[in-house]
Amino acid sequence: MKKLLIPLSLFFVGAVLFALSFLSFGSASGDLDISIVKSNSIMPAAHNVYANELALDGKYYLFKAKMTNNGDNTLEDVTVRYRIPGYVEWTELDVIGEMFPGQTASVRCYPKFKDDISEKMTESTEKVEIEISWDGAQEDDIIDEEFSFRISDRNEYLFTNIPAEEIAGWGDVYNNDALLACFVTPNDPIVKYYTQNIQEKILMGETASVTKDPNEAVRFLAGIYNATVLSHMVYSGTKGIPENLQDVSKFSQHNRLPREVITGNTGLCLELSLLYASVLSNAGLDPMIFLVPGHAYPGFRLNGQYYAIESTGIGGEGIGSIMSAEDAFKKGMEQLNEFMQKAQTGDPRYTVVDIHAVNQQGVTPMVLKDDDFLRKKVDDIVTSWGSAGTIAKTSNNSRVASSGNTGSNSGGGGSGGGSSLSFSIPGGWQTFMRPVPEIPIITAQVVAPDQSTTVTVFDVPASSGQEALGIINQYFQNYGMSMQYQLNGNQVTGQTYSNSGVFNWVGKTLGRNGGIRLVAVGAPDYLYNQSSGYITQVFNSIR
Amino acid sequence: MKNSKNIMLLFLLLSTVWVYGQQTQQKIDMDIDAVGNAKINVSMTMNAQQWQVWVSTLGNNPAALKREVERSMPAYFLDDFKLEKDEMNRSFTLSLNAYGVCEINKRGVWTIDTDQKNANLTKLTDYKYMLVSSPEEFGGTIQQTFTISFPPEAENIEVDKDALGNSIFKFDMENSAGGINLLMLGGILFMVIGAGWSGVSMLTNKSK
Repeated sequence: MKKLLIPLSLFFVGAVLFALSFLSFGSASGDLDISIVKSNSIMPAAHNVYANELALDGKYYLFKAKMTNNGDNTLEDVTVRYRIPGYVEWTELDVIGEMFPGQTASVRCYPKFKDDISEKMTESTEKVEIEISWDGAQEDDIIDEEFSFRISDRNEYLFTNIPAEEIAGWGDVYNNDALLACFVTPNDPIVKYYTQNIQEKILMGETASVTKDPNEAVRFLAGIYNATVLSHMVYSGTKGIPENLQDVSKFSQHNRLPREVITGNTGLCLELSLLYASVLSNAGLDPMIFLVPGHAYPGFRLNGQYYAIESTGIGGEGIGSIMSAEDAFKKGMEQLNEFMQKAQTGDPRYTVVDIHAVNQQGVTPMVLKDDDFLRKKVDDIVTSWGSAGTIAKTSNNSRVASSGNTGSNSGGGGSGGGSSLSFSIPGGWQTFMRPVPEIPIITAQVVAPDQSTTVTVFDVPASSGQEALGIINQYFQNYGMSMQYQLNGNQVTGQTYSNSGVFNWVGKTLGRNGGIRLVAVGAPDYLYNQSSGYITQVFNSIR
Repeated sequence: MKNSKNIMLLFLLLSTVWVYGQQTQQKIDMDIDAVGNAKINVSMTMNAQQWQVWVSTLGNNPAALKREVERSMPAYFLDDFKLEKDEMNRSFTLSLNAYGVCEINKRGVWTIDTDQKNANLTKLTDYKYMLVSSPEEFGGTIQQTFTISFPPEAENIEVDKDALGNSIFKFDMENSAGGINLLMLGGILFMVIGAGWSGVSMLTNKSK
C-alpha cells in the first residue's frame, strides 16, 4: 500500500488541478490591452459627418480603439461606452459577443452631437471618457480611459486633419476639402430667403434648373453677382488658402457662413464661393468650388460643362474697381480654362469640390435656424438692390420711384438713401422692370405707345454722375454700342450709337443708396423732334 | 452603434494612379486566422506607363504607401507592412496584417462584410471564396479579384445580407486556444501519471 501512496497522491493532485481549471476558466478576470487613436480637433460645421460612420468611408471618427485580449480567458459581451461631458451622455459604442484569448477588436466612435453645436461661437477643449467592461467583470477589472480634444468654433475650417509635421504634398493640405460642403447651406432659411429675392427682384424669374439652358444658368450666376454688387458687398482679405506647403499658419480659415456673408455684406474668395454654392444649390443647380493656390472661385456644372465666375470682382469702393457681371464671368471662365489645364497635368493644387457629389457621400450641411433679425437684414439689402423696383400709382399718371421715397431731388452725389429721382409717366405708356437682364444697372424702361420715346432708369454703383455714365458706357460697349454725353450739374444730354442708329436723350442724375440713379428720356434722332413734347414733359417731371 | 467594416474597399487607392489607363487587374488575398485577424496580400502587374506613375508616386515611397493604405482603411489597425517590387516584370506585392477584420456578435456568430450588394461570390473550396469586383467609380478600368480564406476552425460558412443589403459572410468559430488551459493540462498529466504509476505498482505486487 505504501508503494501506491505516491502515485495516488499524484493522481489526487492532478484531479484537484483539473477541477480548479474549470473554476478559473469560468472566472471573468481579463487582461485587455487598449490603444486609442484620436482626432485632435472637431469642426462643429461638420458635425453631421463626424456622426456618420458611412460618410466618406468613415474617415472622420472621433477615436478608434484597438482592444486585444491578452489573457487566457474568453471575455463575453465586451461593452465599450463613452461620453463627452456637456455634449454626449454615456453611449454604448459596441458590444463584442466574445473575445477569445489573442483576439483583437477595433471599435470606432462617431459621436452624435446635438444640432445646436452649429451655434458654437468659441473653441474649447473637451474630454472623452471611455469605459470598457464585460460580463462578470469586477469593479477593478473595468477599464477607464480618457483623452482631451479640441472643438473649434462653428466658423473654423481646417484645410487638413493631418498633423503639420506629416504634410508631404498638396493632397495632404487639401485633405479636408470635401468638408467645405458642410459650409454650403442651401437649406438655411436665410439663404433660401435671399435666393428667392434674387430670383424675384434681380432676375424677375428664372428657369435654369428646369430648362437646363446654359444661358439661363449663366444669367442666374450673373444675378447672384449683381445682387452682391447692388448691395455694395465688398471683398475683404484675411489669411486664406495656403499657397505653399510650409504655410502652416494658413491651414485653417475662419469662414463666415453664407448667411453671415449676406448680412455682413463682405466676404473672402472662399466665403463668397460658399455663398454662391449655397444659392446655386438652393436654386437646383449643381454647384462647384474651384480651389487653386491662394484662391477659390465658384461655378456650376450643367450638361457636363463647367462654368465659373470671379466672385471677388465686386472689389469695393475702397479697392477701386468693380467688375461688371460680364467681366466677372469672363474672368471666371479664363480661370476655369487654366484650372482644367493644370488639373489635367496632375497638379494637386488645383482641385474642385463637387458639392452635391460629396453631399451624397454623407457630407451634409450644418443645420441653421431661422432668424427674424437676419431676415430683416436681407430685406434691407433687397431694398438697396431694386430701389426702383416698385411702381406707385399717382392720380392720373404712373410714377417710377424708389421705394418709400418719391420726394425731392436734392441733386449731387453721396451715399445717402434719403433722396431719389422719380418722374411722371404719361397715360398709356408701358413699364418694363429689368428689361435687359444682362445689363442689371437698367432698373426700368417706360415706353410710349408708339414706341417713339423711351424713358430709362439706371441705378449704377458709382460715387459720381461722371463715374456712373462711364460704367453705363462700358456696359453699352459690351453690346457694340457707344455713348457720348455732357454732364452739367445733375443734368446730362447725350447720344447713343448702335447698329440701329443714333438715339438722342436728356436726363438727370442723383446720388442714392451709395450709388447714382440716372433717369434719361429720348428718342431715335429721326423721331426726336416730333417726340420733343413728350420728352420735355417727362424731363421736367424728373425730380 | 455598429461599426461597418468594409475590407473590400481597400487598396483602390493603389489604383488611382492609372484611372486614365487601360484596364488593370488587382489580386487581393485575405487569409483570416482563428481570432478574426487577416493577413492581406495585394499584388498587381502594370504596363510601362502605369508602372512609371506608380513608382514615382507610391512605389518609391513606402511610407506614403503605408499612410495611404491606413487612410483608406480607417476601421482597422494595420501593421507589418512589406512591399516587394519586381521591377523586371513591373509588378509588386504588398502584404500587411489587419486586426479585427471579423466581428463577433452577442450570439457568437462571426461576420465579415463585403460592402457590396449582391456580391459576385464564388465558392472555391469549403474554406475559400472568390469575389470579383469592378468598382463603378473607376469606370470599369480596374478589376479586383479577392480570395478570402477562412481558417480550419471556421464552420457553417454562409453568405448572407446585412441590414443595408450588403453581402456578408457569417460563420461559427470556436477558439482553438480557449478550450483548454495549463491548469487543466497539468491536472490531466498528473492524473495520467498517477493512474499509470498505480497500475504498474499493483501489477508488480500481483506478480510478486
